[in-house]
Amino acid sequence: MPSSTSSSRSGSARLTAADRPGIAQPVPERDVPARPWPRMLLAALLLATALTGGWEWYWRDFGAVPGYRDDDALWARQRRRIDAGEGDATVLLGASRTFFDIQLPVWEKLSGRRPIQLGLDGTSPLFALEDLANDPEFQGRLIVGVAPDVFFTGFEYMGTVGPYWRKESPSQRVGKWLSMHFVEPYLAFYDPDFALFTVLRRQPWPERPGRPNGMDVRKLSVTEADRNNYLWRKLEIDRDYRDMARSVWAQDFHPTPPTPKERAESQRVLDQQISRAATAITRLRARGVPVLFVRDPSDGDYLAFENRDFPRKSTWDLLLKRTGVPGIHFEDYPELRTGYDLPEWSHMTRLSAERYTAELYRIIEHEQALPGGKRW
Amino acid sequence: MTFAGVDLVFNTLTFVAFFAIVLLLHSLPLAWNTRKVNLLLASYVFYAAWNPPFILLLWISTVVDWYAAQGLVHAKKPAARKAWMLLSVVANLGMLLYFKYGTFLLENFTVLMASFGVDYHAPKFDIVLPVGISFYTFATMSYTLDVYLRRAQPARNFLDYALFVTFFPHLVAGPIMRPTELVPQFEVPRRMNLRQLCFGLGLMTLGLFNKVVLADTFLAGAAERVYDRGQAPGMLDAWLGTLAFSGQIFCDFAGYSTTAIGAALCLGFAMPDNFRFPYAAIGFSDFWRRWHITLSSWLRDYLYIPLGGNRHGPARTYFALMGTMLLGGLWHGAAWTFVVWGGLHGSYLMAERKLRERFLSVELGPLGLLAVGLLTYLLVNLTWVFFRAKDFPIAWQVLRGMTGFNGGAKPMLSTIFIVSVSCIVTLLVSTHWYMRERTLESVLARVPPVVVGLLWGFMGFAIVISQGRGNAFIYFQF
Repeated sequence: MPSSTSSSRSGSARLTAADRPGIAQPVPERDVPARPWPRMLLAALLLATALTGGWEWYWRDFGAVPGYRDDDALWARQRRRIDAGEGDATVLLGASRTFFDIQLPVWEKLSGRRPIQLGLDGTSPLFALEDLANDPEFQGRLIVGVAPDVFFTGFEYMGTVGPYWRKESPSQRVGKWLSMHFVEPYLAFYDPDFALFTVLRRQPWPERPGRPNGMDVRKLSVTEADRNNYLWRKLEIDRDYRDMARSVWAQDFHPTPPTPKERAESQRVLDQQISRAATAITRLRARGVPVLFVRDPSDGDYLAFENRDFPRKSTWDLLLKRTGVPGIHFEDYPELRTGYDLPEWSHMTRLSAERYTAELYRIIEHEQALPGGKRW
Repeated sequence: MTFAGVDLVFNTLTFVAFFAIVLLLHSLPLAWNTRKVNLLLASYVFYAAWNPPFILLLWISTVVDWYAAQGLVHAKKPAARKAWMLLSVVANLGMLLYFKYGTFLLENFTVLMASFGVDYHAPKFDIVLPVGISFYTFATMSYTLDVYLRRAQPARNFLDYALFVTFFPHLVAGPIMRPTELVPQFEVPRRMNLRQLCFGLGLMTLGLFNKVVLADTFLAGAAERVYDRGQAPGMLDAWLGTLAFSGQIFCDFAGYSTTAIGAALCLGFAMPDNFRFPYAAIGFSDFWRRWHITLSSWLRDYLYIPLGGNRHGPARTYFALMGTMLLGGLWHGAAWTFVVWGGLHGSYLMAERKLRERFLSVELGPLGLLAVGLLTYLLVNLTWVFFRAKDFPIAWQVLRGMTGFNGGAKPMLSTIFIVSVSCIVTLLVSTHWYMRERTLESVLARVPPVVVGLLWGFMGFAIVISQGRGNAFIYFQF
């Protein structure tokens, strides 16, 4: 390759195709400046490694531990299990409470089989319910968690999961595999909550008049390779962090009552969500798939907000009635209601979640026993 | 940088693993032909990793143009030569029309019929746009057209030609290579050396810093908030959203080109510059000599000049200019907003030509040049509105905001966005002005090595901690 032979225009910039109209373009010139390149590369590598090490140390000191990144690809890996020989498994759908509060190892210990966790943070499970209803490979059992402010509003914080699952490319699968084997188990800072811009955005910037800065949901959990997920210990031991997590939820506890128009729109969405669920469940039941709704516990101001904006009678009870599906509501069972620790009102500590899973499983097996000695 | 992102693009861990394997294979002491076969197979893997069936299109484009060029050379009569050339053009443009413009044409046909009172319902199509089709069809067409125009000889063997079409650094988003730029590099054995490898890695770091840190991390969010939230922006938000997009599209696309050039250099191959600090352009003809150079020169050589260029009087020149820019706009996407974007640039170029004729004798001083440069940047930003907006109502909404007609609009961007967009765009435009008559290489040759090493390390660190979402490069959709 020619070196340092670039021709120049009037200045020092080299010629490009823009300077050579209507002719065959020659082999481009690509000079390599005479510099001590290996030494510069080594310096760059050392600096980048040192800075990255410091960043990792900072976040570990903050309490972070390495975990698997709960992204579209991780969900898709679990969803694929159904079409890869595990179509008869127990599948968990729902929002974050299903994801945090049902501990797969405990369930596995009691039932003899580990369920497939397809719950998603802040995301209505309806798209997944419909997806499973349309998948003849799925012949198992289905537990659908109902978090009222997500299920009945159709909110989809992770709405990209569905399209991703349907169109995942080979390289995306390889990328997730590489990441899960070489990056995620080792680096605590590799978490969306510790990404550069996220960290910068939550600094105390002066507020622009008319545009409150607001607070986004912070890191709440640690996820394992098969999406078993539990509350991050920092919420148990760091009072400030726990209070901050509560205040993030409190932003949505609208102090002002909805207008009649907003109320009508909410009702329309609620009816639509229940109708979609009923349609999907009819298809599942036609294939002999048992379905069960579960309302996991919430606490404090969060529970008060849910009771005010999503009264049980016009949401949960209506859902069970119109779908004809049995349900387990935590308020109906003392063993699901008391003695649990929900530091930020919405999710249980790991220890509480383990006990809750055992109690819930026991109730399900007792009240919703499957024919032929099958287990949930 | 994401570790599990979209497809096999440069900003993913999959690409890092892929590239490491390719580098290793290419550095083995194997026969030159074997190493070229390795590169060809790797390039097919690179493309198939997105959507394996579409590799067939790549093969069709490759084979059709190979045989068309062979036919051209052996044709005795001009009519036969023309027929071979047309075969190439029709096959490539046919694929492009179907996959890229099929839905658009059908929708417009339906609207046209409705305007005549015909209630025509087009069948539902769900056409997936094969990634990079606009780039590789243009590359293969330039091969046949150069042979047809007797500017170049066909490649001596199919392997070199197929590798020219498929070479992964330029395959999916350019720079759009001409056969005469790349085929000769495959004809003679070349070995990568340590200096090229290091500089190539440096260019890749710089490119990824532009894409992952500047475009995706700091600029994309502001543009998304202003353009995608369906809310009317006030003056400050509309301008910041648009300036953010001007920075984002440059850092995204120039970042891709720089990474591609770096990847090729690591393997010992040279690819041409695709950008030359365009936001320091003084006037629009200067802008188009600096922005997406390989596309603008392609359009000039194979569209503007055949349409008449500037050799048949002013009317024909303006017609050729506007026609080229309108089609250039449409090349970017099947939507009328892109046509308007091209039309605006065509109008700017025509107006500039008129002004140059009238004020030929006027010499501008440094301040005058700076003023014209800033006016150019300002007017380019107006065109970006149509490029970024998904439809005309959004474009008008943003333009109304930019001109102060969205009184009482609710503020959209919080302080962090205002600060980051203002700082980065100011720094970006200033850098372009400093680099206006320089090259990266000429600056690198003067900066102390320790400073280069520190900046390089810092960029690498910033890429890692940004944790980009593996967003596809904007130009992939074109």
